[in-house]
Amino acid sequence: MECKVAVAWMQEYLDGDLSGGDAALLRQHMSECQACQARYDALARTEALARALPFEPAPAGLEARILASLPKAGRRPAAWTGWVRRHPAISAAALFLVVMLSSFVTMWNQDRQLSVAGPDLDNVVIQGDKVIVPAGKEVSGDLTVVNGSAEVLGEVKGDLTVIDGNVTLASTAHIAGHVQEIDRAVDWAWYKLRSWFGTLAYGP
Amino acid sequence: MTLEAMDARLARLARKGDQRAFAELVSMYKDKLYHLAYRMIGNRQEAEDVVQDAFLRVFKNLDRYDENQKFSTWIYRIATNLCIDRLRKRRNVYSLDSESSEHEGLDGYAMLPSDERTPESELLLSETQKIVQEAMDTLPAKYKGVMVLRYMQDLSLQEISDVLGMPVTTVKTRVHRGREFLRKKLERKL
Ligand SMILES: [Zn+2]
Repeated sequence: MECKVAVAWMQEYLDGDLSGGDAALLRQHMSECQACQARYDALARTEALARALPFEPAPAGLEARILASLPKAGRRPAAWTGWVRRHPAISAAALFLVVMLSSFVTMWNQDRQLSVAGPDLDNVVIQGDKVIVPAGKEVSGDLTVVNGSAEVLGEVKGDLTVIDGNVTLASTAHIAGHVQEIDRAVDWAWYKLRSWFGTLAYGP
Repeated sequence: MTLEAMDARLARLARKGDQRAFAELVSMYKDKLYHLAYRMIGNRQEAEDVVQDAFLRVFKNLDRYDENQKFSTWIYRIATNLCIDRLRKRRNVYSLDSESSEHEGLDGYAMLPSDERTPESELLLSETQKIVQEAMDTLPAKYKGVMVLRYMQDLSLQEISDVLGMPVTTVKTRVHRGREFLRKKLERKL
């Protein structure tokens, strides 16, 4: 048997897919070929070591956190986001104004409430649930997006935090601070943010 | 009732809004998913995030669960995909913002009292286990999923192929390459 064949058969053997007859031939080869025997021993040891990694049970409290994170039926939005939702036509026009005037904006989009916080929001573009910092534009501090994705082509001079969404960075993007994606379900960081988003977004 | 039939029954009840049935599924699968995620990602906090996200997705998509499929296959697929996603993103984000890897665990994560494990108990992990885990961590993502499912969940090649939605022959090739990769890594260290 050639060593090349032996090496392939070792793998099959470890998969449990080598027939008895072939296994005997492989053993025969290894008894005569030290290199193959050594290689097999190393593979078998690797296999045993990997399987021996201890089972890691979930940390205490995870189950409770999972159950607590499930969406509740009938979670009510705060009053003014409800208003936005009830007046989609006006709100589409008003939104532009809101973005211009406020450093914080929140709206409903297909039952998902998109919120954006940061300075210079007149420099960002909101498309559906996507918040875009266009090329050549800059946000002079931290930018936070909740329930939406962020696409950065320009510059963010602080941290970029996206909660329940994802980040796309173009090659032209420049983020001075840290990029963080947070799963709201989990997060301590979420509660911290919530305190400064305040009741405006999430209501009493 | 077989385990599979029980899973399917619980999934059906959960879909109808039975919260206790869903809680039962969480309790049956949380350890397996956590183990899977921890071995894939190598970081406890992120593993927790993945498990939580996986259950959330399961919950939201119960009506898309196909009962001809094993529930375990479906939930493993969701968790594995989330892990692979994270591994990819981590690579992308860190390459763009090389500092952020140093700050992983800040912003409150480090302060989470979520886990009774302390640095001292980490030390109890044997040196060998640490080396093996480190070798696993360096596996390219496409081999890692296969290897973790194979070793940690003890799935057959066919089951892995169902979970990952790829042909058994591809799974086999990846197991072989992954095994070789680990052998070479460990040979130098152990
Ligand atoms: Zn040989």
